[in-house]
Amino acid sequence: MFIFTVILILLVRFLSIQIISGDLYELKSIENSVKIETKFPVRGNIYDRNGLLIADNRPAFSLYLVRSRTNSYTISRLGSILDLDLDDIEKKLRQGGPFQPVKIARHIDQVTLTTLQENILELPGLEWKVEPKRHYIYDKAFAHVLGTLGEIDENELDKTSEYEPGDIVGKKGIEKRLDRELRGRKGYEFIKVDAVGRVVEKVNQSKSSLPYPGNDLYLTIDAGLQVYADSLFMGRRGALVATDVRNGEILTMLSNPSYDLNIFTGPVDSKVWSELISDTLHPLYDRTSQSTYPPGSTFKIVAAIAALNEAIITPSWRVNCPGYYQIGRRTVRCWKADGHGTLDLLGAIKNSCNVYFYKLGLEIGIDIWSKYSNLLGFGSKTGVELSNEKAGLVPSEEYYKRVYGEKNITPGLIANLAIGQGELLVTPIQMGQFAMILANAGTYYRPHLIHKFQDKVSKTENTTQTASIKIDKIRPEVFDIVKKGMGDVVAEGTGGRARIIGIKFAGKTGTAQNPHGDSHSWFICFAPYDNPEIALGIIVENGGSGSAVAAPIAGNYLRRYFHQKGMFDYEKERKILYEIWKKKKQEEEDKLQIQLPL
Amino acid sequence: MFDRWFQKADVLIIVSVAGMLIMGFLALYSTSASTPQSSGGLNYFESQLIWFFVGLIALLVCFFVPPRIYADYSYGIYGLTLVLLLAVLLINAGETGARRWITLGFLNFQPSELAKIAVLLATANYLSNSDIDLNIFKNFFVVTTLFFIPAFLFILRQPDLGTAMVFLILILPVFYWAGLRGGNVFLYIAPLFVLMASFNFYFFLFAMLIIVAYLYFSKRSLRTGTAVFLINIFVGMITPVLWNNLREYQQQRIKIFLTPEADPLGAGYQIIQSKVAIGSGGLFGKGFLNGSQTQLRFLPEQHTDFIFAVVGEEFGFLGVFIGLLLFAIFLITAVKIANMQRSKFNGIVSIGIATLIGFHMMVNIGMTIGLLPVTGLPLPFISYGGSAMVINLSMVGLLLNFYRHRYEY
Repeated sequence: MFIFTVILILLVRFLSIQIISGDLYELKSIENSVKIETKFPVRGNIYDRNGLLIADNRPAFSLYLVRSRTNSYTISRLGSILDLDLDDIEKKLRQGGPFQPVKIARHIDQVTLTTLQENILELPGLEWKVEPKRHYIYDKAFAHVLGTLGEIDENELDKTSEYEPGDIVGKKGIEKRLDRELRGRKGYEFIKVDAVGRVVEKVNQSKSSLPYPGNDLYLTIDAGLQVYADSLFMGRRGALVATDVRNGEILTMLSNPSYDLNIFTGPVDSKVWSELISDTLHPLYDRTSQSTYPPGSTFKIVAAIAALNEAIITPSWRVNCPGYYQIGRRTVRCWKADGHGTLDLLGAIKNSCNVYFYKLGLEIGIDIWSKYSNLLGFGSKTGVELSNEKAGLVPSEEYYKRVYGEKNITPGLIANLAIGQGELLVTPIQMGQFAMILANAGTYYRPHLIHKFQDKVSKTENTTQTASIKIDKIRPEVFDIVKKGMGDVVAEGTGGRARIIGIKFAGKTGTAQNPHGDSHSWFICFAPYDNPEIALGIIVENGGSGSAVAAPIAGNYLRRYFHQKGMFDYEKERKILYEIWKKKKQEEEDKLQIQLPL
Repeated sequence: MFDRWFQKADVLIIVSVAGMLIMGFLALYSTSASTPQSSGGLNYFESQLIWFFVGLIALLVCFFVPPRIYADYSYGIYGLTLVLLLAVLLINAGETGARRWITLGFLNFQPSELAKIAVLLATANYLSNSDIDLNIFKNFFVVTTLFFIPAFLFILRQPDLGTAMVFLILILPVFYWAGLRGGNVFLYIAPLFVLMASFNFYFFLFAMLIIVAYLYFSKRSLRTGTAVFLINIFVGMITPVLWNNLREYQQQRIKIFLTPEADPLGAGYQIIQSKVAIGSGGLFGKGFLNGSQTQLRFLPEQHTDFIFAVVGEEFGFLGVFIGLLLFAIFLITAVKIANMQRSKFNGIVSIGIATLIGFHMMVNIGMTIGLLPVTGLPLPFISYGGSAMVINLSMVGLLLNFYRHRYEY
């Protein structure tokens, strides 16, 4: 009886385990032995507009150690060769199974690997695998455009199920914004392992998949111009944005100082990182879209457009500049202490007369001024394909009421805004966009960096089209007038040092006073004067006056641009300049000779 | 109606044992397929095959030696066994871990296996020679102390709790067969139930009520009744106190022993893997040599403690059913053989053999399916183990021997 009971209890238990919960346990047994191995795709390459390689992937070597085959001598040797903490290696080893290769170091250079390979007989259990590592051809010039890669963090993981812990994703710039296009698709392989993690065989071939490489990306940037622009700054802080005004393609987007992108392709050295973070020049900061500055006199164009379009003045409206101006109890000075005398609008733009625009600002009023500033793209993001773009600040009447209180809104505020000072803040890319708007008389394109994608396998291309935007509230004649003024700026005004022989173009200087030291040096321009192709926005932080610092950079950049297009000849300009210089010298000598007999 | 079948009890024993052996060798062959070799260059399968032939000789010897001889030599064998058990402790003293073997040249010998049969023979001899009334507590105490407690303690010291427990379990069925009344059997095991019930007040109350009811209806003397009652109350009261005085890690150890699934990475790992192996076998199993749990070695101790999980995985519920059926046939036949005996000695030994095999089976299989704690008792005729194989086959020889001599006094 007792025997029957015992046998029956056992049988019932077997019945429940094997028949009733059989499927569950079968699943568990499969889970036990079948492991999924992820195969990582190759990240898409990045090229410039002409197909010049900017970023690709190079093979890097990761080192693995197999616990069951290695020994303590090997661990200590590796520790000293690779400069790794021995406890750290042993901790990692214990986390895996005894037969499982455990990754102890990634991105080992060829030299170190060769050293290890030569001594492989003394280093049992050491294995290496080739894994792709991001490689940037230009270490610094493209840093802010491309951005960096890094291991995914928790916040990024929440967004989508596409990502898995441990993934390498874009952290900044294009790499971040276009991560999904660039990253490709992972592949999976199902392998059967035994209890200690040894691979027995590949299974489930039908469910396995190969990784699919990421799309190659072609930027609108011209690598040659980008690098050249970088050289023009000669170590000075600042930014340069150049766009093709006919489609909004960004040809150059440069922020200085920069950092070496290749530092970030592997594990980041904490010392290097803290140096970059604590650098007072903020090299990690993208000045083109993340820094905001007062625009200075370049913004006088906005005031001019507002006044003309609202018919507040005509171009012949005149103001006498004695070198200073009295607003209420305050006296503000024009940059030319002697005064410009009596000027009309074109003269005021050409000479960048502050007194003229103080008065004009008072005529326009803050409401109209801020409306036109917004119309011309300020105070909102341009939408360039970079993360953390700033919108800047266009103060409105409400803004001042909020900040200063209704009673404290003085005429001095609008007068100051009209010359591009005060609370007004803009980004260099907004200035570049503004130059494009001026070049096209109100029509513009969202400044963008992406030219096209190309599928690595099928080679099919996906070109992005950017639609034009027309500011139809501003009459084209208004743009014609300011364009003429800006032409004079380069031809005979404050922007003279940007002048290049043979190509007429329009520009405007700016010298923005700021609380951080010397004035910021601004220059915006578009060229050529007729049928413009390219627009520039340039700032040199604390560089001094716009005419002395930013304008020559614009000139040199345009020389290079038009030289590439066969429209400009360095040799010819040099000859002409030499002739002019010789003539001048001759005249001086003639003058001397005339004076000598006296 | 089934009684007619047991007229051929020897055939039933031989068939069921042969069946279990075949099952054991199949399972061992399967586990050996994934482990190249055990000690001495032989794998478990080959090594066990050799032990089988040794065991077969032992079986034949046990079959042909007249039962009288066993009784005559039983005390000698028992004495020798105690010496060997002591020797195990002395030889292996100072070594850490298991100290269960005596190494004789190339083979390891486990005296605790021999002790099972030696204790049985000596007890049976003692109880059959004199007219000892086990219902008298003094006699109960003397026999227990003489024949069971020494082996229990020696083996507990090795330490081998599972095997040691066997000797305690053996007491009651053997004594029952030798004349201990059922009521007294109840009184002896009552404190054990009280101990288990003492952690919950209502369970405790219920257990005590049953004891009181039994004492009342069995018309025991007031003295015995009071003593039994007090002892049980005492056990019930002191157990929680003792429990609370244990350190936390000690409590933890006992808890894990009783419910291994609470420790999925330690003791629970084996149970979980065993259940996964058995469960994934389903109705017909994954097929011989096809069990992933077994072949990829997720199943631990698969040649000894968890060999029945190999059967469950590769042959499914069908294989398990056949295995349990074979055990049932063997055990019932063994009890029938015990029943047939005119000799008290033979009867006691037979029932002892049934108890030993049955207990091992219950504990081992119960362990593989998570019903009972992991104690490390092998499954007779199926698990790998030389000494156990030889002793188990010897016991089969004894059973067949007794069956042949069933009408002799």
